[in-house]
Amino acid sequence: MRVAFILVLLLFIGFLFLPLIILLLRSLETDQGLSLSNYAAVWKEQDMLGAAWNSIKVSAAAAVIATVLGFILAYSIHCTRIFRPIKGGLRIAIMLPMLLPTITYGFAIMYSFGNQGLITKLLGRNLFEIYGFNGLLMGYIIYTLPPAFLLIHNAFGYVDKKFIIVSRLMGDGTLRSFTNTILRPLVGALGGAFVLAFILSFTDFGIPASVGGTYPVIASQLYQVMLGSIPDFNQGAVIAVLMLVPAVFGIGLLHYLEKLNFHYDKITDIELPSHRIRDAGFGIAASVIVLGLLSIFAVMFIAPFMNSFPYDTSFTLKHVNDVLASGDLTGVYRNSLWVALLTSLFGTLVAYGSALLNVRTKLRARRATDIVSMITNTVPGMVLGISYLLLFNGSSLKGTFTIIVLCNIVHLFTTPYLMAKNSLSKMNPSWETTGELLGDSWFKTVYRVVLPNSVSTVLEMFSYYFINSMVTISGIIFLVSAHTSVVASKIKELQHFAKFNEIFVLSLLIFLTNLVVKVICDGMQRRRAVH
Amino acid sequence: MTYGFYTESVSKEVGGLLKLHNISKQFDGKTVLNDISFEIGTGEIMSLLGPSGSGKTTLLHLILGLTGVDSGSIIFGNEDLTRVPMRKRGFNIVFQDYALFPNLNAYDNIIYGLRNKKGVASKQEVQEYIDFLELTPHLNKRIGELSGGQKQRVALARTLVTKPKILLLDEPLSALDGVIKESIKQRIQSIAREFKLTTIIVTHDPEEALTLSDKILIIDQGKIARFGTPQEIISQPDNDFVERFIIKQLQIKRQNIYNLFGEMYAHA
Repeated sequence: MRVAFILVLLLFIGFLFLPLIILLLRSLETDQGLSLSNYAAVWKEQDMLGAAWNSIKVSAAAAVIATVLGFILAYSIHCTRIFRPIKGGLRIAIMLPMLLPTITYGFAIMYSFGNQGLITKLLGRNLFEIYGFNGLLMGYIIYTLPPAFLLIHNAFGYVDKKFIIVSRLMGDGTLRSFTNTILRPLVGALGGAFVLAFILSFTDFGIPASVGGTYPVIASQLYQVMLGSIPDFNQGAVIAVLMLVPAVFGIGLLHYLEKLNFHYDKITDIELPSHRIRDAGFGIAASVIVLGLLSIFAVMFIAPFMNSFPYDTSFTLKHVNDVLASGDLTGVYRNSLWVALLTSLFGTLVAYGSALLNVRTKLRARRATDIVSMITNTVPGMVLGISYLLLFNGSSLKGTFTIIVLCNIVHLFTTPYLMAKNSLSKMNPSWETTGELLGDSWFKTVYRVVLPNSVSTVLEMFSYYFINSMVTISGIIFLVSAHTSVVASKIKELQHFAKFNEIFVLSLLIFLTNLVVKVICDGMQRRRAVH
Repeated sequence: MTYGFYTESVSKEVGGLLKLHNISKQFDGKTVLNDISFEIGTGEIMSLLGPSGSGKTTLLHLILGLTGVDSGSIIFGNEDLTRVPMRKRGFNIVFQDYALFPNLNAYDNIIYGLRNKKGVASKQEVQEYIDFLELTPHLNKRIGELSGGQKQRVALARTLVTKPKILLLDEPLSALDGVIKESIKQRIQSIAREFKLTTIIVTHDPEEALTLSDKILIIDQGKIARFGTPQEIISQPDNDFVERFIIKQLQIKRQNIYNLFGEMYAHA
């Protein structure tokens, strides 16, 4: 037990704490020893400040819109009497973008709203200039709407809808009733959704990489500085630290906002009064949001099956076959599968083990894993990737799958860890004692009782790790080498050669793979629940 | 009441007296148990009775070995168990919430310990426990499909199969309703008689303690308020707390029943 705990701690010391310390040191390192002069230099540079300001502007705008849209969707699902299957459909459809890398969003936007884009063609004119602010805004909204929706959706689950009726019985008008029974209980969640959407947008790399154009944001600047023509690692370290600051701040805010949420003692399942205008209004609004979202991705499923979109629209499997025949691209896909598989296997092991030691033992320093989870939650993928680059550049880990897998495990740790913790802490605290009295060792009880009772959670953790390592780009963009290239980073490369058909085919492959994994995991989970 | 009878007849077979000497326990500087001493003989049923927070569950855990004592000693037969770890003491417990394993059905819960202690109970013996607790129709059920009383019996069977030297029960009746409660009560008594098994029960209900056990240890704020047989406690409460906490409650109950049924039933 103690040995397992020490191993977990060593892993995080080596691959979280140490790299971050190195990052901090490198940001302070100059020819004359440690000083703040690197920061001063960045501060004086107009480019950098401009990019940071751009990032804040576009991320904030995207976060506001994503929160509002997320709320409309969640409200439609929880507080209207829309036909149930439609609600189910909305809930599933909204999650679909999560199965794709963010860099793909950018290309989908280009192919939808660009000069020759699908939607441009359908509407007969250009709606707006997509490269720069508009494209980024749109990409960020698509990217952050699903998590913002999820957060609000979950919070809705804790709101007691009986109070809607009570409020009406007390004579409240529509507005007052809405404010008191919906908005007020959800203030924390709405604020949380905004902050979450902001941080995600602020630290994302895939979207600026595709539709950023010449509009500089902090993520694209960071990439330039580290992997551009004249790499400057010290300056990169400074920018990474600067990217970390809002993230730290945001996570702190998120914790605070969570406390504003109401927690009703008991949630009653209650039939809402019917209200035709409300239902029709929200039904239409929610459908428009989801259809709008999906329509942007539609091009992804169309373009690669045409000879030469948008000029020659005859059907062909040529592009798909080309990709499948290209050893280079299938190799990259195989790499991605490998990385996702290893990440989900070992990641689930690490996260489950950490949660197990934290919740179900009396080890003295067990709270350490909570601190780890707080930090991994805060550190953006790009920052972690750069830290690894700085620390392991000279080591034998450089350019290996091991470092990519480790980066993913650490980067994505928080959510699976919290899933495991949540489920383990709900289990009967006397199982281990009972097992011991019946002759089990601790590990034996875990194997015979605790693990079999958390199969469903383990599957959920596995699919989370798998899907996210398939789509993540910000974490690994600094760590891939020629032979460890994965699909998400390959797409970035293909962009240079304008090979958009390949990009879409690869994206489809990721999408389908993730869909299959998700469906299998959900199916297995449901089968266990039925028994 | 026939307590004491078993002490003489079987003490040689199963290990004899359980003696606690001057047991004290603190949690975070707060004294939870203070100078507890008592002894009980083989096959006796003893209740630890007291209001919530009195320290009775802590005492049960100390006997089990789940928690260590700060001072004092625990002797079983000729052996000093004070520093012996839980799994080597050979005692077993049924927790208040039963702690049944939901991934296994009733039968697999019952035989859970047999994989670790091979030969501790033969197949036939297991069947005897199952018959005794009338569990045969429920063996293939999942834990979620069992009623409270059935769960209690499965948990008892799982514990008995490992042949503990002392059986500990934490609030065994509190989660059960009226009729089931009486039937489990009889079951516990017959287990103690049948298997000559020393049984220690934690309860906060005076009626339960007085009708179920041979001896009762009344605890108030970590100290022994009274230790004796049910008759002794009723006839000589000897103590203001016992008077208030035990006797008063029973008198109110008697009055209620008297009011409902008339004097004849109250004394029946």
